[in-house]
This record gives sequence, structure tokens and C-alpha cells, in this order.
Amino acid sequence: MASAHCIQFVLNQKTDIEHIFTLLCQQYASHEASHIRIQRQYLDSFDWRLYHGGYVCGMDSHGSAHHFFICHKETDNSTYKFPLDKVARFSHDIRHKSCRQLLDSVLGIRALITVATIHIKRRQLLVLDKEGKTLAILHAESYSMTGQAEDNSIPARLMVLPVRGYKKAFKQVVQYSSQHLKLPHASSTLFDEVLAATGQTPAAPAIVQKLTESLNTREALQILLTHLLSVIQANEQGICAAIDTEFLHDYRVAVRRARSILGQIKQVFPDKVLAYFRQELSWLGTMTGPTRDLDMYLLKFDGYTQELPSGLQNDLIPFRQFLQRHWQVEHKQLCQALNSKRYHKLISEWQRILTNKPDRSQAASNAIQPAKQVANQRIWKLYKRVLREGAAISEQSHDEELHELRKTCKKFRYLLEFFHDYYADEQIKKLIKTLKLLQENLGDFQDLSIQITQLIRFAQEMQDEGLAETKTIIAMGVLVEKLTARKEAVRAHFEECFKEFTSPSKRAEFTNALSPHHQPGGMSV
Amino acid sequence: MKIVACYNIKGGIGKTATTVNLAYLAAREGARTLVWDLDPQGATSFYFRIKPKVKKGGAGLLSGKKELDDVIKGTDHINLDLVPADFSYRNLDLALDDFKNSDKRIRKLLKPLDTEYDYIFLDCPPSVSLVSENILVAADIIIAPTIPTTLSLRTLDQILEFCNKIGVAHAKVFMFFSMVDLRKKLHKQIIENPPDNVRILKTCIPYASDIEQMGIHRQPVPLFAKNSRAGKAYEALWDEIKELS
Repeated sequence: MASAHCIQFVLNQKTDIEHIFTLLCQQYASHEASHIRIQRQYLDSFDWRLYHGGYVCGMDSHGSAHHFFICHKETDNSTYKFPLDKVARFSHDIRHKSCRQLLDSVLGIRALITVATIHIKRRQLLVLDKEGKTLAILHAESYSMTGQAEDNSIPARLMVLPVRGYKKAFKQVVQYSSQHLKLPHASSTLFDEVLAATGQTPAAPAIVQKLTESLNTREALQILLTHLLSVIQANEQGICAAIDTEFLHDYRVAVRRARSILGQIKQVFPDKVLAYFRQELSWLGTMTGPTRDLDMYLLKFDGYTQELPSGLQNDLIPFRQFLQRHWQVEHKQLCQALNSKRYHKLISEWQRILTNKPDRSQAASNAIQPAKQVANQRIWKLYKRVLREGAAISEQSHDEELHELRKTCKKFRYLLEFFHDYYADEQIKKLIKTLKLLQENLGDFQDLSIQITQLIRFAQEMQDEGLAETKTIIAMGVLVEKLTARKEAVRAHFEECFKEFTSPSKRAEFTNALSPHHQPGGMSV
Repeated sequence: MKIVACYNIKGGIGKTATTVNLAYLAAREGARTLVWDLDPQGATSFYFRIKPKVKKGGAGLLSGKKELDDVIKGTDHINLDLVPADFSYRNLDLALDDFKNSDKRIRKLLKPLDTEYDYIFLDCPPSVSLVSENILVAADIIIAPTIPTTLSLRTLDQILEFCNKIGVAHAKVFMFFSMVDLRKKLHKQIIENPPDNVRILKTCIPYASDIEQMGIHRQPVPLFAKNSRAGKAYEALWDEIKELS
């Protein structure tokens, strides 16, 4: 491990790398020289989480040896380096505990994908003391993108790597390289140069254009729908390549949000257009649903297994195989739908409405009204609806009523998030936090209800397909029992959650911020 | 972070070879590993080709994290660092005695390294002293190499008695047989009927010339004799120990 940072020099085209290396070997009487060829795969998530978190991650392969590494982006100092048989896809593929924890905190459940591959020809020189101990390490490296021949897209480098506790030797080598060999310091990291050579720019997470007070409702909706379409399109490839489950999740959230905004903010687009989009977005929701459901079961599978007594855990394996098989079928259908004429038509229609101007017939509609006013009226109505629907729920209420309340809360939350620019930032964050607590309870209840119903249906289907032994059905039955107990506990907790949501202080906060009739501290319309 | 102490009251039973080989194996797998060579003889430092000398000596080292940070040396192996030995460690008992909670000083000193290292190996001098007490208190796992002979088993009892005396749980003490020569009847007999008052690791480290060769190569056995009996035995021992944590 190193306390100082690795110092890197650029060996430009005119510099003869062999000549420099020979000079260095001559300079350090006690040394050990070697050379090695490495194929390096740089890894990151689709949305560059490691890069934005300040890390560079990859896999170095040298013959049959493979080493996984994570280093700091700016310093190139190694944080982790260890042998790994194959490229890790998820943080849970890493057995090394603290490395797995680091990856988990940055990646979550996103997958690692290869973002670039380079071939490195490295000449290594170890500067030794008289005992043969390494005091500093020098790497003279040339790079190629193809592995066929060294190209000039990435200039060669001389890297001086410190060894902890041997600062003096390190400084001497750095000084020799810069003053005697007159090598210029590298101005950017190797990874940044690789990205530039491959034409990649790790984009920061997409930010929605700010909604200003001068916008009319149509213009505001066009901004929001532009963002949602960009999210949808950015996730299509990842869904089809089945990189990780988050692509489909993000895609579905964007579809749901688009449906919600078109459904909630009315009289903005012509009825015919609106009807088309509502129908097609509903189709997208239905078409992506089965794969997402199966993703969820597979993600939760280890948790399901843990729910069971150890003696029953292995009996659940056929259920996993059933889910995986059905996932393959559903995913194939989903990809076909994403490549269909119907889908492409929807995308082009979407792009068209984003640029259309409102016609005269819409003069009296919401389209030309200030977005701030229209949004606030709708948000306030939704808040009142949440209160009304929640208050109507009693211990005897049917599950469906909680489901309806959950949907209303979701619509309410989406609008709060869409139009947050029209409210004081801290105020809206506080409201969303309060709403989230209620949503968590309703969400857990709905998830458990669906899981129980589906598990019973899956068990029936497995029996119909002749795939389930009695012991598997028993294990699934035990699981249903466990989930039912949890569902009841979550249901019992609803009253307390809703009571908290409607407490006088919380009501005052919502009214103060959202009521169109309430001026001080809130928004004025 | 797990602290593994390799300890025995008796000398010459393979403590240093065990520490060096296990630490190397941990680091090879990617664990960020530190070895502290606490034995003033400095054999671990010798194996890593590092001068057995620390700035300000043992007493200075005990004064704080910065002092410890300053003396850590990178070895020639990825992920593996060393706090070298120093001849002044022979007086470490006296230096420790100056501190409040003197028996917990080493643990306190190592605690800040929690996020920097996954494993810290302590190579302990063969003695019963305040240094040993510190090491036993600091360690999460104590491994005691034991030659399968009557006298060695007797020292094992003394270690357990010492643990009782200083309030260290027997549960963290693990014995394994070291320098085993199965041609010897006594070794065979003792291994077949091991003591039942301590937890025993299954792996036996053989009496092998490869281990003696470490002094010539100044490298861990798995590096210069990967497929040797001794190399394989250390790998098996490490597999057992890492499962304990």
C-alpha cells in the first residue's frame, strides 16, 4: 500500500521508450527489470457511478492470471487488488468483504459493464536496496486499443509508484525523471485518456430543466415529457441486453410518471392525442410488467429462502428454476415489443408532441395557463383526495381500498416532484419525506398482497407444468404463510402511519405549502 | 478488521514462519494486511528484507497512531505492509507500563487502522509479559503453534492459565500442530489424541526443509515452493483461520 501518490509522466511520440528505460536501468545499479503484457478491461455501471464516486475499477488479465482492482480516480492509488477468476458483474460477485461493501455502497444493484478495453505493454523496473528490498516501482507503459499494434491514440507513460515508508527513494526517482530525463507530468489520468480515445464522456446524471414561473402548462409538460422520454430511451438497450434489473425498473418508473402527468394535468393536449398516449403508455406498462415481476421474485429469492426453516430451503430450488425459465420467455417478448413498429411509432409520436405548439382551439384550456397555477390546483386536490381516501379506510376495509390510496399517493408524489421548482426546496423535501413514510407502509402492503397471490398462482402453474414435487409446493406454502403474517402486521401498522400523516402539525405543513388559499410561507397564485 | 496473534510461550516452534506465510496468503487473496513484528529478534522483518528499526524505538511507537503510521513499510507483496521489529522492543514491557490501561495499549493503538486493513497479524515474542498480555487482549484470534511433544503441550496449558489470569476467553485460542514429523511415534500419538481443553485447527504444518529455506529465499513458502507440502499446508491452515472470522 502506498502513502504517496503515483506520479505519471508522459512519454511523447518522440521519446524512445526503450531508451528511457535503459537510462533508468543504468541509473539504478540495484534493480530488477521485467516486462509483461496486460489486457485491461475498465468496468463501471451504465450511469458511471464509480467514476462519479471517484473510483476507477477494472480487471487486468495477464495470461491465465486475472486481477480485479479498484483505485482512486485522481491519484491512481490502489484501494483493492486481488485475483478474480472472471469479471465481476455485481457487487455480490465479490467475496472480499470490504471491497464488496464499497462496491455495494456505490453501485447498489447496478451491474458492472465493460466501458473500455486497452492492451498494455509494460516494462517494469524495481529499484532495490542492497538487501534486495523494493524501494520504488517504475512502469514504462505503451498502450493500444486493439491489441494488434501499438497506436498513438494514447501516449505512453512512465509511472513512478511509491512503496510505503520509502519516501526518499520515491522522491529521487521522480526528481530524476522530471529533471534529468525532462519528462513532462501527465495532465490527466490514464482512464480519462482512454475514455477520450474511445469517444466516451461519463455524463453526470440527467437533470431536468428547471421549471420557471413564466412557463405555461404545455411548455412545462413538454419539458417534463422530454426528460421522461430521454430516461426511457437511455434504458432500452440495457433492458434488451439484460445488464441489470434497474434498467427495466427505471424505464417503468418513467412510463408510470408519464402516464401520471398526462392523466393528472388535463386539457393540455388534444383529446385524441391524449387518448392515444394513455392507451399506448398503458400498453407499455402491461408489456413490461411480467418481466419486472419475475425480476422482483428473483431478486427477493435469497430472502425467501432465508424465511424458510433450513430443512425446507433447498426445496425451493425448483421454484427459482421456474422463475428463471419464465423470465427468459417474458424477456424475449419484451424485447420483441421494444423493437416493434407499434413501439417505434409511439416514440416518434412522443417526440412530435414535444415540439408542437398549441393551436387556437386550446386557447381556453390549461395549455396556455401558467403551469405553476394549474399544477398547484391539481396538487392540492390530490392532497385532499389522499386525506379523504385514507380517512375512509377502517379495519374492515377491503385490500382494494388501500391499493387505491397507494395509487393516489403515488400520483400526489409524482406531481410534487415534477413541480418542486415552484415551492421552497426545504419545504417540499419535508413534505415528500412525510408522504414517503405513508407510501412505504402502503407499498409494503401491496407488494406482500401481490406476492402472496402470485405465489399461489405460480405453485398452481408449476403443478400444471408437472415441475413441482410435493416438497416444493409445501415450501411455497410455508412461504405464503410467512408473507401473510407479515402482510397482516403491515396492515395493522397502517392506522398509525396515517394518523402520523394527518397529525395537526403535518396537516399545517401541507396546507401552508400547498393550499392555493393559503398565502404566508406557501406559494402565491 | 481482524487481529490475529501468533503466540506461544515457547520459542522455535514456527511462530514467525506461520505469521509470514499466513499474512502473505491473506494479502494474496486481496485482504489489506499488516504484520507487526513484535519480536526484538526481528526474524519477520528479515524475511521481508526490511531493516528491523523503527524511528523513536518501541516507546515512541506506543505514543500514538501517527507514530505507528510513520513506521509502516510496504513489503514487496501487494496488500502487505509491515511494522518492523526494533531491538528496543526488548524493553517494551517497561514502556507499556507507563500507560494508563497498560494491558489495552496495543489494542487502542491498532483500532484506528480499522478501515485501512482487513487483517493485522501480530508476531509475538516467546514470553509471559505485559507485551504478551497486550497481544492476547488485542487479538480477535490467537493461534498457538504447538509441536506434538509433551513439553509443548505443557506450555499450551500454561497459555490457557495465563488467559484465565488476564481474563481472555479461551474461545479465541486455537492450537495447531507445527513442525510435525509423522515418522516420530510420539508426534503421531499426540496428533491422534489431541488435548481436549482447547479448540484445535485440523491442519498440521509439517517439519519441512522448505520452511527453513524461507531464510535463504527471504520469501513466504507459497511464493518459492508453491506446490510443496509446506506451502499447501499453510494454504489449508489459512483457509481454516479465515473461516473463523
